[in-house]
Amino acid sequence: MTKTTTKAFSPAAAVRYLLPAWVAATVWLGAPGTALAARDDVVATINSNVNNFYPAAGTTGEDYNAGNLMFNGLVRITQDLKLEPELATAWKSNADASEWTFQLRRGVKFHNGADFTAADVVHTFKLLGDPALASRARSTADMIKTIETPDDYTVKFVLKEPYGAWPDMMIERQLKIVPASVPLAELRVKPVGTGPFMFDSYTPGDKLVLKKNPNYWEKGLPKLARVTLRIMPEDAAKIAALSSGDVDILWNVPLESLQEIKAKRAITVDSIPAGTWDGFVLNNQAKPFDDVRVRQAMLKAIDKRVLVQVALFGEGAPTHTPIPANHPYFARNIGFAPDVAGAKRLLAAAGYPNGFKITLSVPVGRPTRERAAVALQQMLKNVGITVALERVPYSRWGATIAGKAPFYMDGYLPRPTPDTATYPWYHSTGSWNQQMWHFSSPRIDQTLEAARRTPDPAQQRDLYIRFQEEALQEVPGVVMYSINFATAFRANLQGFHTHPYTWLDLRTAYFP
Amino acid sequence: MFGYLCKRIVYIAFTVAVMSVLVFWITQVLPGNVAHTILGDFAKPEDVAMLEHKLGLDQPVHTQYLRWAGSLLRGDLGQSLVMNRPVASVLWDAVGRSAMLAALSFAMVTVFGIWLGIAAGIRHGRWTDRIISTATYVKLSVPEFFWAILLLMLFSGYLGWLPATGYSSPDEGIAQWLRHLVLPSVTLALGLIAHVSRLTRSSVIDVMQSPYIRAARARGVPEGRLVRRHALRNALLPTVTVLAIDIGVLMGGVVVAETIFSYPGLGRLLIQSIQQADIPMVQAAMMVVTFVYAAANLLADVLYAFLNPRIRYGGAAGH
Repeated sequence: MTKTTTKAFSPAAAVRYLLPAWVAATVWLGAPGTALAARDDVVATINSNVNNFYPAAGTTGEDYNAGNLMFNGLVRITQDLKLEPELATAWKSNADASEWTFQLRRGVKFHNGADFTAADVVHTFKLLGDPALASRARSTADMIKTIETPDDYTVKFVLKEPYGAWPDMMIERQLKIVPASVPLAELRVKPVGTGPFMFDSYTPGDKLVLKKNPNYWEKGLPKLARVTLRIMPEDAAKIAALSSGDVDILWNVPLESLQEIKAKRAITVDSIPAGTWDGFVLNNQAKPFDDVRVRQAMLKAIDKRVLVQVALFGEGAPTHTPIPANHPYFARNIGFAPDVAGAKRLLAAAGYPNGFKITLSVPVGRPTRERAAVALQQMLKNVGITVALERVPYSRWGATIAGKAPFYMDGYLPRPTPDTATYPWYHSTGSWNQQMWHFSSPRIDQTLEAARRTPDPAQQRDLYIRFQEEALQEVPGVVMYSINFATAFRANLQGFHTHPYTWLDLRTAYFP
Repeated sequence: MFGYLCKRIVYIAFTVAVMSVLVFWITQVLPGNVAHTILGDFAKPEDVAMLEHKLGLDQPVHTQYLRWAGSLLRGDLGQSLVMNRPVASVLWDAVGRSAMLAALSFAMVTVFGIWLGIAAGIRHGRWTDRIISTATYVKLSVPEFFWAILLLMLFSGYLGWLPATGYSSPDEGIAQWLRHLVLPSVTLALGLIAHVSRLTRSSVIDVMQSPYIRAARARGVPEGRLVRRHALRNALLPTVTVLAIDIGVLMGGVVVAETIFSYPGLGRLLIQSIQQADIPMVQAAMMVVTFVYAAANLLADVLYAFLNPRIRYGGAAGH
């Protein structure tokens, strides 16, 4: 009795009490609760919260992922970048591409049981055009003069100006069809679409859970009963979770971790070219970039192939403009060899025989751009340009740098058509151009306008190749490369591939 | 005792009020512009101005503070700028999850901290003491995140026993819920166990060498009873107060553990909100941390006064 107290604190007691407790806990907690039956659910990671369930308000990859799983557009884009009917079954235009008529799919139901008809399409575009809702795709709605609905399953868009790539526009992330039967306020908290999966629950900071839509219009799809999108910003945690089997799909694999993940057993890594690009912005109205020779010298000084190796670990491809290297309209006849001597000559001609000093602003927390900036600093040093790097937190980026600093590094997401990928950046009236490099070239304006008007693909291709040549002569700014997009997933997950548009397409995914 | 309690509560209220000014001031000088965060990089200046007016950001700072503090007192935490939902619903969910984590850690800290401390203290200078002391030194001198990553690699990566990350709610199954809590709560507890056990050890050693214990030993009181009856009550007095303060420390410590284990609690919410310049969320989360700290300190004061009469009657000396 008297000895018990001191005994209770002896090393022997530790073993005596702790060992059984440890064993019990291990038996109870340690056995993962995985059933032997075939799994019918999948867990994927996303990097941040889904902040907008109303697709037109979407601004991030997370928003688009949720939108793509729960909603459909009129048209969708396949793995190999071809258009495919989705809620529309067919479409045609008049001779000058100013009127587009879409036949709608019959027998499609929204998650709330309402029938999908032309009224929902009209409702969707009406919301999209409302300035108060401030959708990033509002410019698309602004192209429409009127929408006519001859019957419940026909929609005719009458455009303000001819536009050859109107069907391509319909794949835009924000242009998902929302039901007229659900008020917008409700849709923002409990989304209702026609897509393969339905909303189940959402915990900000933790996960979004979706369940199978039993009335989905594609026969036999989706194959999964449940999809969980886990919100995991931390790269190390994501990779650990994939290795340990907590998650099945790692969406948007950080490029610096690709090699590490590729080495793991039972994990498939699928890295494919995507249209996302990084570039550096030169303000064409500010010295020294108001002189085209300085801009040309910057372009000649850099080796984009080296930038791809340094910034992307080779997971990408150099490109001339936002048209990526795997696109049929890419100008393959132009090389990427740098020309240091030529760059120096141009600088001397422009009045900078000894180069100049300049500050380059780089966003913090965007690793590809941070690495590219360091490499760029070295490359420009070779032609006499001394670059001071200024790292700016992303929370301050919009207010102080984007569209304001004379020289900064930034990156942009893919756009659905060559027109939408180039016009806003290179046309003198383009929205991004007016914010970024303030550039104006009558011949590039003409080329882009002609390309946008023609419905003939062969002619379109010639015009876009000419545009790329012109862009490299006038250098409004420099697009360095397009970045691959990668997902990593369990090797036994069937029917899933990385989509070049980066969203998760889980319609055909299943575990055998 | 009642008078003492009132005094402490007034003091704590004052502390929270001063902190609220600080929190408000810090969020004012955080980089980033709220209107820009909402409207995107290339918002037109007139749109930014309109939104700032709508949010009341064009008012003088003291007016903004008073309005914010007023709605805080009414329990209105405002609207998250990024998540498009009320701050309160997101925040209380996260606080609840952090509380679960902290409670489990607290239980571990109490049991293991005191147990190890006593075990080392009553065997002062022997092998048990040396091993425990060295281990606590090592634990204290290596930062939390290192333990977290070590645990993660071992139990989740290598052994595959426990989930590496995330959270599972209790209604999805208690075992599953606990499995998700083990690694983050152990990470959180390790440093504090070392801290509590060192403190307990030194006060046990002090008490065991005090004259009254020596006198009792000379009278032939058995060692077991000596420890149980005479030493522990006095020796654990500082430990109890430190444990109360540690409740606050735990609430602050969740940041590292939650970030590494992707655990959707208050700490991770705070970090994410700071990154996204979601000011109302940052302010509310910081006030919650402040309040928990203050309440934990109040509890520590009251406990100490309760256990140690000299404190609460300190003002009544001479009677």
